[in-house]
Amino acid sequence: MKNGPVFFFGLLAAVGISWGGIVLGSHYQLGSLAPYYDDTQGNAFPLRPQGVASRGQLVYADLGCASCHTQQVRRPGFGADQARGWGERQSVARDYIFQAKPQLGVARLGPDLMNYGGRIEKEKGPAAADAIYQFLYAGSAAHPAYKFLFDDKAIDGQRSTKALAASPAGRQIVPSERAQTLVAYLLNSNTTYDYPEARPFTVAAKKEEAKK
Amino acid sequence: MTNVPTHAASAEVTPTDTHARGPLLLLIGSGLLWLVISGVLALITAIQLRTPGFMADCAWLTHGRAQALRESTFIYGWLANAGLAVALWVLGRLGGSPLRGLNWAVIGTLFWNTALAVGLVGIATGDMSGFAFLQLPRYVLPAMAIAYAAIAVPGVLAWIGRRNDTTFAAQWYAVAALFILPWILAAAQLVLLWLPVRGVVQAIAATWYAQAAWTLWLAPLALAGAYFVVPKTAGKLMPNYDFASLGFWTLMFLGAWTGGRHLIGGPVPAWIATMAVMAGSMLIFHYLVVFLNLRIATGSSGEAAKYIRFGLLAYILVGVLELYTSFRSAALGVQFTFLAVALEQLALYGAVSMLFFGAIHFLVPRITSRPWASAGLAAGHRVLVSIGIVVLLVALCAAGSTQAGLLADAKVSFGEITQRIGLPLLGVISAYLLLLAANLLLLVNFLQTALAFSGPSVQPQTLFRQPAALEGSAT
Amino acid sequence: MSSPMHQDKRVDQAAVTDESLMAAHEKLIGKQPDEKAHYKLAPLALLFLFSGLIFFGGTYLGRFSGHFHPKVYNEYAMPPKAGEVAAAPAVDPIVLGKAVYAQVCASCHQPNGMGLPPAFPPLAASEWVASEERAIRIVLYGLEGPIKVKGVDYNGVMPAAGPGSGFNLSPEKIAAVLTYIRQEWGNTSGPVTAAKVAEIKGKEGNRAAMKVAELEKLP
Repeated sequence: MKNGPVFFFGLLAAVGISWGGIVLGSHYQLGSLAPYYDDTQGNAFPLRPQGVASRGQLVYADLGCASCHTQQVRRPGFGADQARGWGERQSVARDYIFQAKPQLGVARLGPDLMNYGGRIEKEKGPAAADAIYQFLYAGSAAHPAYKFLFDDKAIDGQRSTKALAASPAGRQIVPSERAQTLVAYLLNSNTTYDYPEARPFTVAAKKEEAKK
Repeated sequence: MTNVPTHAASAEVTPTDTHARGPLLLLIGSGLLWLVISGVLALITAIQLRTPGFMADCAWLTHGRAQALRESTFIYGWLANAGLAVALWVLGRLGGSPLRGLNWAVIGTLFWNTALAVGLVGIATGDMSGFAFLQLPRYVLPAMAIAYAAIAVPGVLAWIGRRNDTTFAAQWYAVAALFILPWILAAAQLVLLWLPVRGVVQAIAATWYAQAAWTLWLAPLALAGAYFVVPKTAGKLMPNYDFASLGFWTLMFLGAWTGGRHLIGGPVPAWIATMAVMAGSMLIFHYLVVFLNLRIATGSSGEAAKYIRFGLLAYILVGVLELYTSFRSAALGVQFTFLAVALEQLALYGAVSMLFFGAIHFLVPRITSRPWASAGLAAGHRVLVSIGIVVLLVALCAAGSTQAGLLADAKVSFGEITQRIGLPLLGVISAYLLLLAANLLLLVNFLQTALAFSGPSVQPQTLFRQPAALEGSAT
Repeated sequence: MSSPMHQDKRVDQAAVTDESLMAAHEKLIGKQPDEKAHYKLAPLALLFLFSGLIFFGGTYLGRFSGHFHPKVYNEYAMPPKAGEVAAAPAVDPIVLGKAVYAQVCASCHQPNGMGLPPAFPPLAASEWVASEERAIRIVLYGLEGPIKVKGVDYNGVMPAAGPGSGFNLSPEKIAAVLTYIRQEWGNTSGPVTAAKVAEIKGKEGNRAAMKVAELEKLP
């Protein structure tokens, strides 16, 4: 420790090695992950999100949605992720390659949103977008209302086509542009494609393989 | 050879202390101010957890943003300012000469806090970066890295120009913390915000930063104070001190590798979480060495020692629990619940903040040459903050374990979970109220002490107990 | 330790000076055996423990790191072997065929297989589909000129879809799409294998579009 330069370079090495190993190492492994081309469907997965959905992810990020919602389905055996219907397979790195800011999340005070779009579309069909707007506007016992994402204004001439169905009489509640991108993003969240690396690994399968 | 100084009492009032008074008080004062602000924000977020509608109409304080504001004010406001004050003071003391380049520190402090304030406004208005521990918008981060380096200048100069050829454990930790934050802050913002890496690599890099900030920056700052104040107040040699350097380098080389536990089960390769177990298990050696070295804290007296005993206990506990929760089976119940929050609060509040409180309690009378304005306020703060932290941790653990159990049952809805953890969350709210009250007491006491231009000044004798021959305890 | 002169709770008293603190601790470093050449037990135990932790960490890492493979998410799994990657999981020809039909064929022959008179003949219940030899050749090389299907005359140009053509369908995809067509819309002919398609492609080579006259010579 008496030797200043050795101490300094020791610190530099300590930080540098961990940065190199974790950040550069995983960047080397995953940074150039390509979409998976499926011959059967003649398409590469994941699908590139539309621009409006990508902008919605930034709204999701700056509102801090990730402080209560995760976007990652863990494999069977890790909690009740799949039993709760959050996804049929575990999320893998390839799911996120087109996302500018992956929102893996840190806490689950609310449900996982990895496949939220697919889920709500199955449930509500074409009314899905309106259902999300309504939820964001009104909130629930466990979810705050984001009224600031909407403009509550008098109907001036034509009623806006985007106004919520549940607007009070004589007024219209119109989602702002931020709300629209956010909902586009949420509706876009659906990862159904089953990548080879996402298939569950089971001890039984491994034993069978060993027999061969 | 006996090292008993003949003028021990006057040696305890050094030119270092009076010379550095202004800059150090500025750092501590801004730290405490941020601590109180962070306390208010913590209260808001805690109420929001129980009553989601609370302040929900206010876009600035929607829960996600309030959470980011609370975290940023706590880490970059309170911990950074206070930790820098402790590190600079320790390095000045042990360097043996008055700190040089203090103008750098003053200018750096002003820039750091201005940049932080701008960044907080940025978070509130929608420029939040969204990465845990690094929520500040990218346009203030380069300025903050440079400002930190400027504040560190006097400390580094004191280290390079130290009078003794020998070095002491407190110095290693302090210098390490001064050097490392600008490095990791630059490395992290580069790959996260300026040239973002792709997909989940961002999450991995963010975890690396969060873990590095805790193990390579905050923990060393806290230990710098503890390694100085504990032997000073105990008057004993630290047992197993010859292992201190190995303990130090274990932390430096392995600390940042333990972040993978946050990504268990996530869309990242298995080796990242496995690496965390490997590093975490070896890191146990560091915690053991710290425990062995600083166990003499049990024998020291005074207010500072009481804070430090609490902090050290929490610190060792964090080490053990971080390893335990790195294992996948244990992580299952902790991940995504309030148990993870509890572990983070144990680290940042229970360990680091308490060690800072202890060091600050020790150093303020020395740099102001005046005793604390009120012994009652000081004791009140210590008692309230200790109770507050314990209540906070207990309530978070209660909420977290309920939550973990209910999350695992697919039939329980989130509305029901929110309802079932309502009572423990009430505990969290009252804990944050206690902590806010406690920290207000400390702020008042500090301001009275720092701003009292007249008043009793400390007699050198009161700073020093009848000195013991340190060598006497060596064997 | 004697009691201090007057204990002031507002100040923490120090028990040693900075100089003696540093000097005394410096002397502890590198003090190996003590004066009587006795090794202390604690340092040895600590070193032993440290090596034990390193051993545990290393073993755990070796066991559960999935060989540091980027696509191994389960710590018990091992990276796929070189051969395994090529062996794609078996694809249901009906599913693949349906997808190919939708992409390549449906715009003319329509999703319901009924065609679009007068240019595009139906595939549903078509006698041409029932003949394996003829159907494969039509898909591989296309068809030019008038054709009578189910008693109705059609006249159009069907482009080639086989390897090397604009659609560049592999024998596997042609087999799949034919298998799909031959069991859909009331057709009841058997599946077509990729080997059969490849065999005909080998026999015929690269050639121009088929004519009805040529096809009628085939079974």
